[in-house]
Amino acid sequence: MTNYLIRRVGQMVLTLFLIVTLTFFLVQAQPGDYATFYSLNPDIPAEAREQIKASFGLDKPLWQQYLVHMKNTFTGNFGISFGHYPRPVLEVLAERLPRTVVLFLSATAVSFYVGFFLGKAIAWRRGGVLEYAATISGATLFTAFTPAFALMMIWIFAFKLGWLPVGKFLDPLIWRGAEVSANHVFSYMLATAAVFIVFAFLTLLAARKLGRLGAGRTPFLVIAAGAAVVPMAWAFTGVGYLALDILRHMILPIATLTLISFAGTMLLTRNSMLETMREDYVMAARAKGLPEKVVRDRHAARNALLPVITSLVYSLIFAIDGSVIIEAVFSWPGTGMTLLEAVRSEDLPLVMGSIVFIGLFSLLAHVIVDVLYVYLDPRIRYQ
Amino acid sequence: MGMPTADSQPILKVVDLSLSYLTRQGPVHAVQSVSFDLGRGQSLGLVGESGCGKTSVANCLMRLLPDNGRLTSGQILLDGQDLVPLSEEEMRHFRWGRMAMVFQAAMNALDPVYRVGEQVMEAIEAHGVEGTTAGARERVARLFRMVGLDPQLMERYPHEFSGGMRQRAVIAMALACDPAVIIADEPTTALDVIVQDRLLRELKGVQRELNMSMIYISHDIGVVAEVTDRIGVMYAGRLVELGDTADVFGAPMHPYTAALMSSFPSISGEKHGLETLPGEPPNLANPPAGCPFHPRCAYATEECRREFPSQVRRGSRWAACWHPLTDMAGAGK
Repeated sequence: MTNYLIRRVGQMVLTLFLIVTLTFFLVQAQPGDYATFYSLNPDIPAEAREQIKASFGLDKPLWQQYLVHMKNTFTGNFGISFGHYPRPVLEVLAERLPRTVVLFLSATAVSFYVGFFLGKAIAWRRGGVLEYAATISGATLFTAFTPAFALMMIWIFAFKLGWLPVGKFLDPLIWRGAEVSANHVFSYMLATAAVFIVFAFLTLLAARKLGRLGAGRTPFLVIAAGAAVVPMAWAFTGVGYLALDILRHMILPIATLTLISFAGTMLLTRNSMLETMREDYVMAARAKGLPEKVVRDRHAARNALLPVITSLVYSLIFAIDGSVIIEAVFSWPGTGMTLLEAVRSEDLPLVMGSIVFIGLFSLLAHVIVDVLYVYLDPRIRYQ
Repeated sequence: MGMPTADSQPILKVVDLSLSYLTRQGPVHAVQSVSFDLGRGQSLGLVGESGCGKTSVANCLMRLLPDNGRLTSGQILLDGQDLVPLSEEEMRHFRWGRMAMVFQAAMNALDPVYRVGEQVMEAIEAHGVEGTTAGARERVARLFRMVGLDPQLMERYPHEFSGGMRQRAVIAMALACDPAVIIADEPTTALDVIVQDRLLRELKGVQRELNMSMIYISHDIGVVAEVTDRIGVMYAGRLVELGDTADVFGAPMHPYTAALMSSFPSISGEKHGLETLPGEPPNLANPPAGCPFHPRCAYATEECRREFPSQVRRGSRWAACWHPLTDMAGAGK
């Protein structure tokens, strides 16, 4: 496993190298010269311009520029953003990336769960009303034009019903006079989520180690109690209302993304379930006198999950891809919107930085899913 | 056979059991009017060609039918309790708790993603046979030892087991809740002959030791002869002959039984050329009128083509045939 991981990281570095190379030459191939544009930016003082020019090697031939760019990228120097001058690209991305990752990871998780749940239900009871309703509505939403559908969601839930905010990351009226910055609150929210996930995972692990007999619902009660502690702890910090505001802004984009994409997981799960339901071990599970739900969830669905997980990596990448559209429609200040802004304002260092980070995230998603697979399927062992 | 006491009541009594599969071509009558008794501690073999309904009978008994399977008539009396009208939830307690199964495709009867021991524990937990996890683990260890597996193998996954080990694990799983009846459906077919022979003897030993009743289904009459007390021969979804194993194999009454026997090699018996039975089993969606065996039978007459024969009894055995063979005729044919 360790060897495998080392090899995978090696592959990642190689792929990243290709991504950086492609990005560099694609940006170079655009009309408007990189160097000219840089040196024409009036916001940048003359002496700084010379300094930056030298640090990027802009006075040198293309192949030398490329080598310098590569060296800079791999030493973590993504340059200074034009649009956010004088903030470095890395600082802008460090602020934006977590927002995108949180939004899309949550959306992917919810959509995956909903899709998997519906998929196994409609495979188990074929020909039911649920099957037709879920398949037709899922397929319709899956093929809907994303921006139009997102706008429709905003129109219904934010504009007509007024239940949720129209867009953006937070409500300035609520945040006026707040003593902490949004990034600060958001990073604490991230930390809370991480701690809670680890807590839930350890509880389930402990319950498993102690044996299922007699444990019953106890682990779930423990997790529920943990979930109840979280809002109380936030209430004590005095910035709970600010966190709540960010959460409220997340609901509509997550719901929209879920509705658009759940059908993919659902139909895949359904097909995979129909395969595993014919397996002898499912018949054996039923013969053992296990309750229907246990046969369905612990045996049929558990095995049906394996091919579906493979598709998860693609939906993760799709999530980041699609982030440009969804973030633009919901004015969500993440990497997708940053990329769009940067392209519009020809903020070339930021464009390249965003693309490289989106690539890096996709590579990470691949490795994570591969490692996850080892835990889900004992037959798989990487050497 | 002696005075009828409560204990001599059969543990399992199957009466007039019929099963059809609904298909686009119309119903397929996979099992027709099958009746038999299974005594306590007794083992009954069901033999016949592929597709004769042996496995369907097993699935009926467990009520594990595919969506298109319909029980059209009959009773399955387990200890006097009819299983046919039970709801799924009521039936769940009988499955494995009272009647367990060793599967035909034992290689695939274990779920690849769980440890083998865990899968046996699952059955124990579902039926509340042991109160604690430690007790359940102890029981699994005992079962593993009983079928000749190292208890440490509990922690392994099915793909780490050889074919023989998986088969033993599946037998251990079947024994998990002390069932009164075990249905073994071709349990050793996928194994090589040496492993098969050893497993058979162990299975027989365990069955005797625990005084369980067993239904042993196989197309291999050599194997069935070795492990069963009584034997039923099936053809085209019907039971055509039933009797003590020694009697049936010693002097078959039904021409089909005789044909089946002469198509199998025997190591201990007298040397004879192997004969193949000409023709094919009938299509169960559209079976021939009368005795379903008549198109392939050397003794068939007008009445065989007209009407299904009634049972001809001889002591504790019977055959459904218009022209049952007398003692010597079967061997000579």
